[in-house]
Amino acid sequence: MDFVLDYISVNTFWTILSIVHALLAVALLGALTHQAVAVLAPTRAGAAGGFVTRFRSVSGPSYAAAVCLLWLLAFIFGGWIYTKYRIYVRIPIEQEGFWKTLGAFELKEHLSTIGLGLLPVYWYLWKNVRNAAYANARKWLTVVLAAICWYAFLTGHIVNNVRGFGS
Amino acid sequence: MSANPDNARDTSSRFGTFALVFGVSFAVLYVVCDMAALPMFTYHPGTDRIDPGFAPARRDEGPAMYWYGWIASSTLGASILGLLAVLLPENIGRKIPLALAWIAPVVLLPILIYSLKFYWRW
Repeated sequence: MDFVLDYISVNTFWTILSIVHALLAVALLGALTHQAVAVLAPTRAGAAGGFVTRFRSVSGPSYAAAVCLLWLLAFIFGGWIYTKYRIYVRIPIEQEGFWKTLGAFELKEHLSTIGLGLLPVYWYLWKNVRNAAYANARKWLTVVLAAICWYAFLTGHIVNNVRGFGS
Repeated sequence: MSANPDNARDTSSRFGTFALVFGVSFAVLYVVCDMAALPMFTYHPGTDRIDPGFAPARRDEGPAMYWYGWIASSTLGASILGLLAVLLPENIGRKIPLALAWIAPVVLLPILIYSLKFYWRW
């Protein structure tokens, strides 16, 4: 990747990676939130088509592969920029004494990793959406993954506000 | 994980057993690796050095990172357990509760929060 640095600064390069990570997270958050709301409050046949009804009337199975791919890509980009975070972001935050911010970020890192490991079973449960025996596990695993995604997104946002790349 | 005479669906069922056992054991092993300091390797981002197993940060070389090593350790362990689960007779594999897929992360959450107690100071 060194050739890229002939055209842009090091700071710009890592900032671009951070923004791509954030954009992937936005897409993942949207997909998982739609899917989680759809399984928690499915629409009744013939329900009026307002905003909320349309929001929760998405086809859950069609989101599963996208969620897996987006989670994986967001994780890879997150793992990539994590090396620079450790030196250029975390150490200054430690020096400022924002310990709870760091703890919240550590928890994000742990939960995102656990979520990654659960993607194969998540995908399997959605692939077999017609199997009624899987409905409960599918519903609650989707909700748990959506909760992890929301937590990770908000924590990443807060840490970026405390000290983003280039600050 | 219902039994199916159809071969393709049987393969799918085996994958389901693998995926369930992999996911749950990955989550548990990850927390164990974190709390017991068991990374497969240690990465030193300041110098791009990789040491096998757990290695403390070196003087004047910046911090040490264990996260990648925890992921590698838990992936290996969970893959082995997942493959072993596939080898089990199907009637045993079917008895593994699917609910573990979402119960495991919920149960592990307070343990993770406790493991980070160093950070929850005022």
